[in-house]
Amino acid sequence: MAAAPTTEPDPAPLDARLSPGMQAVLDAALDCVVAMDADGRVVALNPAAERTFGYPAAAAVGRDMAELIVPPALRERHREGLRRHLAGGPRVVLDRRIEITGLRADGTEFPVELTVTRVKGDGEPLFVGYLRDISDRIAAEAELRHSRLRILETAYAARRRIERDLHDGAQQRLVMLTYQLRAARQKAGGEAAELLDEALGELDTAIGELRELARGMYPAVLSEAGLAPALRSLANRAPLPVAVGAPAGRRYAPSLEATAYFVAAEALTNAVRHAQATEAAIEVTDAPGCLRVTVRDDGAGGASLEGGSGLRGLRDRVVALGGTLSVTSPPGEGTTICAELPCAS
Amino acid sequence: MRILIVDDHAGFRAMARRMLEGEGHCVVGEAGDGAGAVVEAGRLAPDVVLLDLNLPDTSGLAVARELRAAAAPPAVVITSTHDEVELDELARQSGASGFVPKTRLTGATLAATCDRG
Repeated sequence: MAAAPTTEPDPAPLDARLSPGMQAVLDAALDCVVAMDADGRVVALNPAAERTFGYPAAAAVGRDMAELIVPPALRERHREGLRRHLAGGPRVVLDRRIEITGLRADGTEFPVELTVTRVKGDGEPLFVGYLRDISDRIAAEAELRHSRLRILETAYAARRRIERDLHDGAQQRLVMLTYQLRAARQKAGGEAAELLDEALGELDTAIGELRELARGMYPAVLSEAGLAPALRSLANRAPLPVAVGAPAGRRYAPSLEATAYFVAAEALTNAVRHAQATEAAIEVTDAPGCLRVTVRDDGAGGASLEGGSGLRGLRDRVVALGGTLSVTSPPGEGTTICAELPCAS
Repeated sequence: MRILIVDDHAGFRAMARRMLEGEGHCVVGEAGDGAGAVVEAGRLAPDVVLLDLNLPDTSGLAVARELRAAAAPPAVVITSTHDEVELDELARQSGASGFVPKTRLTGATLAATCDRG
């Protein structure tokens, strides 16, 4: 004869309350199902849970669930949550999908997706947890993050190499050609002198264009002296007045400096090319763990991350570093582009 | 002026030497990297070191700081195919007299930059 529900907690395993058909469903499930009573004791666990956590059901039933599958660091929180809920507190964990750390019998910890529901009924409260080992997904996400970062770093390295090659190769040769033509010019007279002057003018233009190309690849001031001087240089060369506020002297990881720089450069390009801005401001703030780059202009607005490939490309770079990019651009009210980049501080 | 030319490109060194000597200056030596620059500057005691910004072993700015820390330091002028005006400020912060882009480099601009510093 079963005990009355109001006196002793029901020690019967979960399967005593289940139809044979439902029991078969739980046995066949690939996800773990673990049932717990109001005292936090394991009432039942299905074969998937036995395999995942490494306890046979016979050894687990009746034991404190927190001791078995909750890592020590999370146990007190788990127990407190259960107490709070039973005292009528809000449902913090119940009926939601959360990601948390699980503990196996061999002591290893692993990421799990967890849902806990309370079984409806008049008897003792019964909680059922549905758990899924998400180690593979978490590892895949980490690999994706690393791979994005590697792609970004490879791209910057390639840009630096091209800049370096242009600088060491073609630019160097053209400069030497300038010296040779100048020497020839000093010895020449008449028509030859005129031709040499023209050639020197052309050469100067070519060197200037090549320098712009190299600078667009990776500005030398950025690698030599860091973000603040590079942004001032960017502002000085812009065809509109640009105020720059940036902490002087600090250096960051190269991919962080480059991303912050290119956010500002792309934002200024858009301000001039698409928004007909008349002035702009670049502000870099260095909060703990976060470098924030904000570029404001007074142009036409109406820019969006979906609009042009330029901003999308910027967002990809920012996201690859684990940061966020926001664009605020109401029509007629200018544009604010803000990148927040995590940094070691 | 007695000048030491520091650049990793032998072609540039030769060309710069010819140009500067053509203007009546004396090129007393050449070096191809930062370490060589420090050794040659100590040995030759030039008036001016014409120093490339990008050296294979170190930055020209770091070499400038080292050269200027000597007891009787030479004047240092940084040069590069780059032309950003900010480089002049950076050059001066490192103790150099200033920055002259390679395209603007002549004996006259070199001397003018030294006088300024």
